[in-house]
Amino acid sequence: MTTTTPRDTNPMDATPTDTSNVADRDKARRWQQGGSEPLLKVRDLRVTFQRQGQEPFEAVQGVSFDVHPGQTVGLVGESGCGKSVTSLAIMGLLPARGNKVTGTVDYEGTNLLDLSDQQMRDKRGKDIAMVFQDPLSSLNPVIPIGLQVTEVLERHRGMSRKAATPVARDLLDRVGIPDPDRRLKDYPHQLSGGMRQRALIAIALACQPRLLIADEPTTALDVTIQAQILALLKELVEDTGTALVMITHDLGVVAGLCDEVNVLYGGRIVERGERHDLFAQPRHPYTHGLLASIPRLDAPRGQRLNPIPGSVSDNLPWTSACAFAPRCSQPIEVCTQKMPELVEQHQRALRCFNPVEANR
Amino acid sequence: MTDNTDVLVDAQGVKVHFPIRRGVIFDKTIGHVYAVDGVDLQIRRGETYGLVGESGCGKSTLGRAILNLEPPTEGSVTFDGVDIAALKGEALRKKRQDIQMVFQDPLSSLDPRQSVESLLFEGMKAHGLAKNAKEARPRLVELLNAVGLPEAALLKYPHEFSGGQRQRIGIARALSVNPKLIVADEPVSALDVSVQAQVVNLLEDLQEEFGLTYLVVAHDLAVVRHISDRIGVMYLGAIAEEAAADDLYATPLHPYTRALMSAVPVPDPVVEDRREQILLTGDLPSPSRPPAGCRFHTRCPWRQETKCDTERPVLRIPEIPGVGEGHRVACHWTEQIQSGEIQPHEVAPTITDASDLGAVDESLMGPASISEAL
Repeated sequence: MTTTTPRDTNPMDATPTDTSNVADRDKARRWQQGGSEPLLKVRDLRVTFQRQGQEPFEAVQGVSFDVHPGQTVGLVGESGCGKSVTSLAIMGLLPARGNKVTGTVDYEGTNLLDLSDQQMRDKRGKDIAMVFQDPLSSLNPVIPIGLQVTEVLERHRGMSRKAATPVARDLLDRVGIPDPDRRLKDYPHQLSGGMRQRALIAIALACQPRLLIADEPTTALDVTIQAQILALLKELVEDTGTALVMITHDLGVVAGLCDEVNVLYGGRIVERGERHDLFAQPRHPYTHGLLASIPRLDAPRGQRLNPIPGSVSDNLPWTSACAFAPRCSQPIEVCTQKMPELVEQHQRALRCFNPVEANR
Repeated sequence: MTDNTDVLVDAQGVKVHFPIRRGVIFDKTIGHVYAVDGVDLQIRRGETYGLVGESGCGKSTLGRAILNLEPPTEGSVTFDGVDIAALKGEALRKKRQDIQMVFQDPLSSLDPRQSVESLLFEGMKAHGLAKNAKEARPRLVELLNAVGLPEAALLKYPHEFSGGQRQRIGIARALSVNPKLIVADEPVSALDVSVQAQVVNLLEDLQEEFGLTYLVVAHDLAVVRHISDRIGVMYLGAIAEEAAADDLYATPLHPYTRALMSAVPVPDPVVEDRREQILLTGDLPSPSRPPAGCRFHTRCPWRQETKCDTERPVLRIPEIPGVGEGHRVACHWTEQIQSGEIQPHEVAPTITDASDLGAVDESLMGPASISEAL
């Protein structure tokens, strides 16, 4: 069934949109000058997977970063770099069995890692919400969309279902789902991928969380739908002042959306910077290599790509070396002898003994 | 390049329709998924033809139809002068030596219980290129060298390799029978970005070394633009625009191509901030019920009152000065859009039911189960 609904002008459905915004860049600068207290402070977060009969594996090895109110922070890296595990650890979603999480996740003065399951359940979905990659597996297939939205409102805001329904309807409308009254009664399988992701965002935003964690929210979607969802996220962040942690492998997504970007490799942050600085002057050979290896739509043709040699399986342990050394384009002797520390300087952070020259 | 002898693959009016069946006792066909619905496509010898489009646009099905893995419902596919759509049995099997395929997911396309040696030798044996593995050994080593794997890999099994290396094995297997055409269906989309570039470069090197012709099917426009000489943009089972890779990027003509181009994120904040995005509204309509007229008219910001919803545009060379040779577009209003005569307007989003694929004309439906029949 296909329905066409004429609707009032909605900014995210307006056809040609110019996304450039200078003010938003200035906003990012303001945070860095220490204008506000961080909303979320992650310090030395470590996650170790312990499996019977196997060596413990440290997936996240001391990740620290701040998220300020209204800021969008990106965690970028390839599969296995620990970006998703970081987000699950922050949300307290890793099963207690077989996982050891240490460090602090300070959300407005409370260490989330100290909270009991019950206390965490009160926070999750209310103060901190999450959007996952695959909307079909994160939505309950046997419950209508509307009920999945009202459920959150009932649980956290103590509303009755009757009172919550119009709110849910408005939420669906807000995230750009056409004909929300009808869609309330629809089941997830009746929606397309993009609409499901919108529904998931509506659920996440139901209680107006101050922090939203989006784990690869557009990876499963087509590019034109991805553009819709990114525009929606951007607009919501600007309108509501929600802080956003964006987890993705796609540097293109980060370039357009994030104020600050953290590049992860092998469970540690290797480089951090404001997006313009970072993309203009990547200092870590990994960041540099990643940018050089992506075919760009706007690049002149006929250029060969510069791949990063090897694969993640070639990594050295961080404890005694730079994990990236075997794949690095410019290793020096010390790289294989000890671990480089993350050094903060001029609002940039870098973990490298022999960084790429800055004058590029 | 326009010489006819140069054409390796010539697909004419290819249609692949999948029947939607329902019912237990009365197995009725209640509709069709029009996966590929009338595509003309020529691939020249030695070139890389890229097919892009979003999921469900029929690009993979078209790729498979060219190999006759999915027999076309209608139309012909001429490969090197032979109509392979009409071939059957042994003749088809023999012809497949010339057309090989590289799949998206290297782990599921390699038999986990076969060693690399056996994987690579299997095709050679089937096509009578070697009698036993021992005899084929020099060739196998050569193949591994070509894709950048050590000789020791021969005795290993797929699970012992990383994703990128597995894809290399998949490519070596395709090469083992000396094909003329390789159809690569999303060859790099399962790989990490840093490894993607390795495989893209490898494909380019091999093309030069062995004079291969590629048909690359992918959703990533940046990757496709990088490796292809010519690109066809597909939308709902038909080609919306076809052009040389540079022309397509420089002057995208079809509204869908424009939207697609503008939606691809570029890893550069300066570009991202300045970019004019054309955000398409709504979803891809169901291929079981494609819109009448131009298939894109339901989402097109340049849609006009006449023609768009009634008349299906054919792929034609537009009358626009400066447009590259062989640039073809299926849009009624290309000239007017390009000259600025027609301005974009807002489009109300159309939502597609995911369950729509099954729900077709009620009157044609038979009983869904025995109990319903009784």
